[in-house]
Formats: sequence, structure tokens, C-alpha cells
Amino acid sequence: MTRLLAAELLKLRTVRATWGFVLVAALLAALATAGNIGGESASGRLDPEFQFRIVLDASFAAVVLALLLGVILVTSEFRHGTIARTLLATPRRGSLLGTKLVAGALTGLGLMFLTFTVIAAIAVVWLGLLDVPLELGEGVDAASRAFVAAVLAGVLGAAVGGTVHSQVGALVGTLVWIFVAEPLCWVLLGLLDLDGVAEYLPASSVGGMVDSSGDGLSFPGSVAVSLAWVTLAAALALLRLRRRDIT
Amino acid sequence: MIEVEGLTKRYGATLAVDDLSFSVAPGTVTGFLGPNGAGKSTTLRAILGLVTPTSGRTAVLGLPYRQLDRPVQRVGAVLETFDAHPGRSGRNHLRVLAAAGGVPRSRVEEVLSLVDLTGVARRRVKGYSLGMRQRLGLAAALLGDPEVLVLDEPANGLDPQGMRWLRDFLRSLAGEGRTILISSHVLAEVAQTVDEVVIIHRGKLIRHAAMAEVEALAAGTTTVRSPDADRLATLLAREQLEARSVGDGRLEVAAAPERIGEIAAANGVVLHELSAARATLEEVFLELTGEPGERGA
Repeated sequence: MTRLLAAELLKLRTVRATWGFVLVAALLAALATAGNIGGESASGRLDPEFQFRIVLDASFAAVVLALLLGVILVTSEFRHGTIARTLLATPRRGSLLGTKLVAGALTGLGLMFLTFTVIAAIAVVWLGLLDVPLELGEGVDAASRAFVAAVLAGVLGAAVGGTVHSQVGALVGTLVWIFVAEPLCWVLLGLLDLDGVAEYLPASSVGGMVDSSGDGLSFPGSVAVSLAWVTLAAALALLRLRRRDIT
Repeated sequence: MIEVEGLTKRYGATLAVDDLSFSVAPGTVTGFLGPNGAGKSTTLRAILGLVTPTSGRTAVLGLPYRQLDRPVQRVGAVLETFDAHPGRSGRNHLRVLAAAGGVPRSRVEEVLSLVDLTGVARRRVKGYSLGMRQRLGLAAALLGDPEVLVLDEPANGLDPQGMRWLRDFLRSLAGEGRTILISSHVLAEVAQTVDEVVIIHRGKLIRHAAMAEVEALAAGTTTVRSPDADRLATLLAREQLEARSVGDGRLEVAAAPERIGEIAAANGVVLHELSAARATLEEVFLELTGEPGERGA
């Protein structure tokens, strides 16, 4: 498993797309943090929970990016035909999928580490200039939630990629689900007075972990529901991968 | 070493491989031949565990490929489709494979040198020529220094210089005692390298024979023209040589021209023509596979 994981991480490090994701994650984190601090300080709402919100709000993009990078981790093998060579080295498909899922988790962890570093750097300097004391407890609590969310998003992305092997299909499908289909489900379920059910949908449960509003599922609840979705997607991916002929 | 037993693969209504059985003995170089669409790639991919047989079984070194431990170090493969990420450099492509296969990183430089790609190893693969890509594929196959090589049309698209390089390279690999199964749709391409040939057509085995046997099939016939053709035919029959009259005093005889000339001279038969009609290897191949083709091309 260790050598397979090393190979997967080397794959990620040796293509430009990964570094593009890293750059975008850093930029979005910087923009969200700066926008949040600037906006809140202008309106004078630097309440004690503010630092908790800074971290979670700026982490949301990294969670989505971890999900997408997880998808790419698997689907790029099919897009570029490298899956054959990968399976020649790792013919046991369950092992391959397991390695991809772990690589997805580490990808999420890495992206969130970068994001948190950017958030912390900007927040420490800016809040220091504003003479706002740092609330370490709030920051650590929010960061730990964000790290869990990113790890689960990375694994879920890899599982989605293992199920839908077409890269374009998987990426477009994921984005459409997050930004179109699931919000529509919210509306429809709301019309049926089933708002509570919508919180159990995949994007809502993963997003719920970094939701600073306090609405919806609790953090442990979001983790549990997300784990259920991850397990379902991984099972589908295993089934699909085992049955697929590499022609 | 490589075993294929009753292999059948069906894709929907298409029967790609039909109850195919053959084996490749250790230390031999075997050509796996058949026209395009004969089922060669499907068979090789079944051997390599990439395709699940509808029925039958395949084994390499006594085990199904998927059960091999560290397969990169046991079996090397070149697939017909290009299998490197275009955005990765040749060196990094091999480093990834080395990491996955448990092969030391130093081996990457060795194989790059072996296939003469060291100079372009930092370049991204999408900038490689077809010949470079084929050589990168061979480097990947040799990374684990495997005892078995499965090569699917490695000469596809190569220019004459590349073909010559490949032929010499395969000969050197064969000289090291490796077991090699190499597919091609052109018999002449592998004729100088292989010990045996397995010929398939429409997924079925047509012939599994020593290369020498196939070459013997190409020995062909001799055309002889004489004003005394009937008498010559009788004389040849006495020597157990069957002569077929093709008109205009011509006979076709399944024997070498030297032998016919000697018989005619010994019996005072005048000859106006004595010529060998040797079939090319491709003609033999086309005849065996029943594919239409141009004679004497």
C-alpha cells in the first residue's frame, strides 16, 4: 500500500493540473479571508465568533477543490489511457481503488493545509493591525472541521471518479449536482415540507461541515452522513472498476 | 510460462476471441499473428488481466496475472494504445511506474539509457515522436527486468529506421533468454525474431507452429516449360514429384528447380524455362488466414 500510495502522490506532483488546483485554492482562500475581514471590520462586527467564520467560509472553496481533484485523481487515468499501465503494476483493482481513496484523502488534507496557512497568515497580520486578539480556540475548532471536510471531500471525489470514469462527465456532473441539482432538490423538498431531508443530501452533508451559519445538521451528524455517502460511492466504484474491461 | 486455455471473450454480440488455446514455452520468442481485428489485443489484454474472459483462463508464470505478486518485476508489457500521461515527462512517467512496481529509482536511468531516451527524458511525453513513444513503452516494460515480455504491435507506426532498431532490440532481449510473446499483423515484421508463431483469425487458432515450418510453406513451387512436357511429367512422377500441367507446355512442380533440372538433364529433356515461384511469407500468412491479398506483393 505504501509504494502504491507513493506512486499515486508522485503522479499528482508531476502534472501541472495539480499545481493549478493548489494555486486556485490559495487564491480563493486569500480572497475569501481578505473579503471577510475587510467586510466585517468595515461594518464593525468583529464579534468573538468572527474568527470561527473566517476559517470556515474561506475553507469552503478548498473542500470543493478537494472533491474535484479527487475526481481527477481517478478519471485522468481513463482520460489519458494510463489506467492500463496502472493496472499492470497494480492488478488487484480493490487495492488500486483503496490507494486512490487514501490519495484523495491526502489531497484534501494537503489542500486544506495550504488553505489554512493562507487564512492564518492573512488573519494574523490583518487582525494584528486592527488590534483584534486572536481566538485560538475558535480557529482550531473551525480548522479541525475544515480538515475533516476536505479529507472526506477528497475521498468522495475519488469514489465518484471511480464510478463515473469519464472525466468531463464526472466533473460536470459533480459541479451540476452541487450548484444546480441539489439546490433544486432543496426547493422541491421545501415545497413538500421536507427541508430536514435535504440536509442529508451529499453536497449538503459535506458542505454542512464547513457551514458557519449553524443551520442544518450538527458537525458529527454531517460527518456521519458524509461517511455514508462516501461508503456508498466507494462501493459503486469498486463494483464498476472490477467489472470494467480495459480495452 | 504463458498459457491460454479455451479463452472466449464476447463484447455484446461481437465474439472477439473464440475458444482459443495455446501456450508459450519458457525462453521462446513467439509471434502472435493475425489480421487486424483477429482478436490479438483482446487475447493479450486477457493474459495481462485487463480484460475479463467470458470463459476460459489465462496464466502467466503459472498464475492468473491479477494474482502475481509485484507483477512489474515478473512480466513486462507494451500495449498498442499509448499509456503515458501526456503532461508528464518521460522520466517521471517511469518513476511513477517504478514506485508502483517496487523497482529502485536508479533503474529508471538504466532503462532510459537502454532505449536511448536519456536525452529527452525531461521533455513532456506529448512532445515525443511515435518512435520515442514506442521506446518509452519498451522502457516501461523492461523497468522491472522481467522474465516475460508481452508486446502488442510494438512496431506499429515506426519508420524503417525505428523498425530496424526494434528488431535489433528484440533480438538482444531474446538473446538474454527472456520469454517474449509479440503480436503483429505483418508476419515478415517478426519473422527474423521469433522461434514460433501462433496465428489466429476471427478469434480462432489457425496454426501454432515453429517459424521454420512456416518458412517451409513458403518454399513454393517451380515452373518448368518444355516441348516434351508429358514425358518430363512421367519422369518426375517416377521420382515421386507431382507435376501439374498449366498449359502451353508448362508444368508446376512442388520441388526445387535444381532437382528438376537434374532429372531433365539426366534424361535428355529439353527445357525452355525453369523458374522458382517462391511465395512470400505474407502470401503464406494470407493463405493461412484466408485473407484476400495481392500475390507477390
